[in-house]
Formats: sequence, C-alpha cells, structure tokens
Amino acid sequence: MTQSPTLSRRSTTSAPAPLRKSKRSGADARAGYTFLLPWLLGFIALTVGPMISSLYLSFTNYNLFEAPKWIGFDNYTTLFQDERFLQSVGVTVNYVIFGTPLKLAAALAVAMLLNSKRRGQGFYRSAFYAPSLIGASVSIAIVWKAMFGDNGPVDQGLSIFGINLGGWVGNPAMTMPMFILLTVWQFGAPMVIFLAGLKQIPNELYEAASMDGAGPVRKFFNITWPMLSPVIFFNLLMETIHAFQIFASAYIISNGEGGPAGSTLFYTLYLYLRGFSDFRMGYASAMAWLLVIVVGIITLIFFRTSKSWVHYSGDSR
Amino acid sequence: MINRRHFLTTVAVGTASAAALAACGTGSSSAGKTGSAENPVTINYTWWGNDDRAERTRKAIALFESKNPDVKVNGNFTDFAGYWQKRATEAAGGGLPDVMQWDLSYLRDYGQRNQLLDLGTVNINTDAFEKSLLPSGQIKGKTYGIPTSTNAFAVYYDPAKLASLGIAEPTGKWTYDEYNAFLTEVGTKSNGALFGGTDYTGVWWMFNIWLRQNNIEAFTEDGKLGFTKDDLKKWWNQTAALRGTPAIISEERVTQLAPKSPFGSNVTATEVTWDNFMAGYLADSGAKELKLVPVPSDDPDNLGLFLKPSMLMVASAKTQYKDAAARFIDFMVNDPEVGQIFKTSRGVPASKTQRDGTTFEGTDKLVVDYEKSIEQYLKDAPEPPIVGFGTLEASFKRIASDLNYGKLDINAATDAWFKEAEDLIKQNA
Repeated sequence: MTQSPTLSRRSTTSAPAPLRKSKRSGADARAGYTFLLPWLLGFIALTVGPMISSLYLSFTNYNLFEAPKWIGFDNYTTLFQDERFLQSVGVTVNYVIFGTPLKLAAALAVAMLLNSKRRGQGFYRSAFYAPSLIGASVSIAIVWKAMFGDNGPVDQGLSIFGINLGGWVGNPAMTMPMFILLTVWQFGAPMVIFLAGLKQIPNELYEAASMDGAGPVRKFFNITWPMLSPVIFFNLLMETIHAFQIFASAYIISNGEGGPAGSTLFYTLYLYLRGFSDFRMGYASAMAWLLVIVVGIITLIFFRTSKSWVHYSGDSR
Repeated sequence: MINRRHFLTTVAVGTASAAALAACGTGSSSAGKTGSAENPVTINYTWWGNDDRAERTRKAIALFESKNPDVKVNGNFTDFAGYWQKRATEAAGGGLPDVMQWDLSYLRDYGQRNQLLDLGTVNINTDAFEKSLLPSGQIKGKTYGIPTSTNAFAVYYDPAKLASLGIAEPTGKWTYDEYNAFLTEVGTKSNGALFGGTDYTGVWWMFNIWLRQNNIEAFTEDGKLGFTKDDLKKWWNQTAALRGTPAIISEERVTQLAPKSPFGSNVTATEVTWDNFMAGYLADSGAKELKLVPVPSDDPDNLGLFLKPSMLMVASAKTQYKDAAARFIDFMVNDPEVGQIFKTSRGVPASKTQRDGTTFEGTDKLVVDYEKSIEQYLKDAPEPPIVGFGTLEASFKRIASDLNYGKLDINAATDAWFKEAEDLIKQNA
C-alpha cells in the first residue's frame, strides 16, 4: 500500500457528487442509529450487561443472597472434578452427536419428498412443519412423557410386535433415544430451509444428468448435495448450537431432576440446578461461560472445515 | 362477631396509622406501613401445595380479610420443587413475598442470610405452643419461623390390601429385620402385583431417625456431619437384600409414577413418611382407610421419633407491612377457625388454641391419635438443619436412587454423597 489514507480520502471527496452523497449518508446513518436505538438499548441492558456480570460472577462464590466473593479460577477448576458435571457433558454430547445428524437427515429426506409437484403439497408441508412449532412447548413434553411411560401408547405399540421394553421414561438406557426421537420429530424448521434450498437448484442440472444416465443416488451425491451444501452447513450449525441448549423438555420430563440415574442430566439442566436449587450462581455462571466458549470453538471448527465441502455458486472450485 | 383482641388490634392499628399519616404521610414506623378499612394495604402470601390446600387457604384468607378489613391478602402457590427455585430468584432480586409458608430445610439458608424477618420483633402470640417446638424456628436466638403444625414419621399401610393378601396388620412394634420380612411377605404373597414398599433407606429423615435410634447426631453444633461413612454404609445395607425383589418397588417404576407417589398410586402396601401426607394419600389412592404405625427400631425403647414443624410461617425481612404480616401469621397459626379449615392437612396444629378449637374426625383423628400414641417416645425437635440442607436432602434421595438402579454400589454411593456434603459444607462455611 503506497497511498496514505488521507490521500485516498481526499481523492474520493474531491468530486462534488460523492460529497453530497456522503453528507446524505451521514444523515442516513443518524436516522439508522436512531431506529436502531431501541434494539441497541435492549441489547446492552438485557444481553451484554448480564453477560458481563455473569462473566464476573463466574470468578466468584455467589449464593444469590450475599455479595459475591472473588475466588479466581476456582469454579472452573472444580468443574472438572465434579462427576455430575462430567456426566452432564457426556449426556449433552451424546444428544448432540446422535440427535442433530438424525434430525437433519429426516429434515432433508422429507424436504426432498415434498419438493416434487404433487397435489396437496401445501397441506403436507404445513403438517410436517407443525411439530417444530409446538415441539419445544411444555405441553408436548408432558404428552411425550405420557406416551413413553409404562403402558403408554409406545410401550403398548411395541408390545404388539413382541418388543417389551416397558416404559422408557424410567429406564436410564431408553431416555436418550426418547429425547433424540423428540428432537428428530421437530425437523420442521430445517426442513423448510432445505426445501427453499432445493428449489434453488436449477432443473437443467438434473435433466443433463439424466441424459448422461445418472440414477437418483448419483444425482443426489453429485448434484443435490454439493448444490445444497451451503444450506446443509447453515442447518448443521444452527441445529448443533440449538441442541447444546436443550432445556425445557429435559426439565419437564425428568421433573427437573435429570433422572433416572442422571441419564437426562443435560448441561443446561445441571447449570440451572446448580444456580437455582443449590444457590451456587458463581458455579453456574462458570458453566454458562464454558458452554459459550465450547460452542464458539465448535462453530469455528465448522467454519474452518466448511471450506472443503461447502460450495457456493460462483465459486471457481 | 367482634373478637376482643382483634378489635383492640384494629383500634391500635388505626391509631398508629393516624399518627403515622400525621407524621409524614408515608408511615414507616416499626410496624411498617399500615392501612385502614377504606384504604387497605395488600400483603402477598405464597405457599406450596396442591389444589386441596389452595382451596383451604382461600377460605382462610377470606376469613382473615373479613376480620381484618384493613388488610388484603394476595395469595399465590406452586408445587414444592418449583417453590424454592422461585424464592431463590425473588430473594436475589430483593422481592420476596411479605408472608410465606416455609420448610425447616430452608430456614437457615434464608434466615442466616438476613432474608427473613425476626418475628421476635413483632407481635405474634406463641403462648399456646409447646416450648420444645419453638426452637426449631429459631437460629441464634432470633425467631424466623412460627410452626403452623407438627408432623411425625410413621409407616402407612392400607388394611384392605393386607387383608386381601391374608397378611395380619402390623402393630408397629418391630425391628428392621421384622419390617423387611413384612415387606418381603407382601411382595411374595402378591406375586409381585403389589410391592411391599419403597426403599426406605433413600429417605433422609428415616436415616436421621435411625441415627437417633443409635444415639448419633446427624449434624454437630458447628454445622458439620455428625456421622461417619460407615454409619451411612450400614444404613444403605439395611435393604441390600431387598433391592430388585418384589419387597421394594424398583426405581424405574418410581420414576414413571412421579410426581405421584407409589403408595398413592396403589402399587405399594406401605410407605414410610410424614403423617400429614394422609389426606393426600387418601385422595390419590382412593383407599377407604389408611392406618399409621410407628417406624421400626432395633431398640424398642428408643424409636428416635420427634415432632417436626411440618411447615412454618415466615415473613420477608424487607416487608413494608410488618404489622399486617404479623397479624396474618398470628391468625394462621392460632385461630381455631383456621384449624377447622385445614384440619390435619398441614399437620396437627401446633398451637393448643388452634388444636383445641378443631374437631378431628375420621382420618384426621387417626393422625392426631397417632401423634398422641407416640408421645412417650418423642424427643426434642431437631434444630434447623445446616445451610444448604435442602440440597443435601435432594442428593441423598438421588444417590440412593442411583444405588437402586445399580449404577453405584454402596461404597461408591457413600463416597459420592460424602463428597457432595463436604463440598457443600465447605462452600457455605
């Protein structure tokens, strides 16, 4: 760079037309910030402020009643000796690793089915989307608990086929499959995004492939997958972050205890219990920040690896 | 009907409020802000419980308001678990309700941390209370809670279920081995259709009673554990042979049934717990009759039993309406008509005035009679347990349940609980 910044600025402002433009853009900017202000104030007061204070609290011993006591990194170091914490990490990682890909696979499969022109597609799309609207609600968690309980519809349904698992809710080995089913069932949101992505793929590509004698599997891996990869990437990222944050359904199905035998002790549930049942808000804050950091790192890894498999149209590759 | 004391209080309050109004308009005297019949003050009252208790409380509040036209009571309730999480958030924000129903387990957490009003500084009549009971609401000479009622530990059983299996009703004079044999008999004779009971070693208070039977204190004066790992191992070993047999219900079933209890769901023949659960069990199970007998003990002269305040009434340290709050607490614990409304659903009324003014019939009489029958065995009520006791109690239950799932063996379970307990005691020291 040989040109100094002042020089370059003078060179652009020397022409009269851009000058007027920059004046106007100054006023525009003011108007813009004014319109932004309500959100900005809310963002600072309700998001940034609490985040900073929770960062501070994570270095303290704070029981909600008395002033926080500074203890440095103690909360962070004791975390790794806390068996319940390690258990909650295990449960959550399990859920993310199995739940997210299955949910995305279901979403993509259904999106591809709904992509063809058929009568009543609008109805099917709404019907498949509905669970994701209500899936995270309290009532669904209660229904789910009843469905998978002793002699519930699932237990009885499986008995017809000679599978006698009993209730899933009380069986530590079966609670995780139950939660994964619950999340897979809510594939509606990623499905809608997949559907939009599928519509963007030019039909000529498929026609050309057919001409060349490519079957459906070949078409999927050579056309659909690469063309859809930015959308897949987006969904994978969002759903992974989302999965780490599972709370409401776990809280309700396990009566807020993370049982049976700790099998539903999700990270956020343990965080909540530490903060609001055990009054260890400093500890809970440390957990929250650790989650933020870990999710941040995972996102970074996703972005780094994305270069090798995500293709944006217009890319030379 | 004009009650003389209430009439006098009203007059006194009226005078005080007039004086306060004359002084500055916003009275903040030692009695706090006061109201009048035309311009009543509103206090918030919160409690835990089911719909049945909500209905009874609504009646009690209406009665209080008719007797105290200068106070309005705004009631609010949740279930027990959610109750404490809500209080914690409110306390952090400085917004605890004026008057609250309270549990002994949490008295230190809030009392020692200056969240609760010292009720010794306001006017509440405790003349009609057993002197041995009041200390359970006191910490270091300050009174933070007034017991509404007492409860005691007992073994519940359903006579009809035992009769149908041809098993004789227990007398309540039994050792742990005899009780275990009884549980096994139920499970065997019913062919697993009816379990003997739940694993009673998972209940903290039963463990506490067993410690008392062996003359061991659960907690020392300075807030440390008074028992050893070996004691706890011995305790969890009591039912080692019963786990996984029809004598006790599996933890899987217990989890499935939650939040309803196994006994209330008619899948067990007995349950070891507080005697004031009677009304709830009757409603849940639909049983015609349930009976109570004392807990087992290996020492027939020492049953380790005591009367515990089943719940206390407390006020927020930050309440602006100290006088109204005190009058409401006084009313809830002493008034005979309140006794008539609640019967034994809060436990047996602690105040003699209230107890004598209440007619107990049917199952309510069973509970009262049970507490009378164990009178000779009763020892002093325990002091308010250590700070963080609610957490310890919950982890005791959780770890015992891991034990039943076979996730931990007795040694590992004991180590796990002690680690959590010691960590917590250190944390709150």
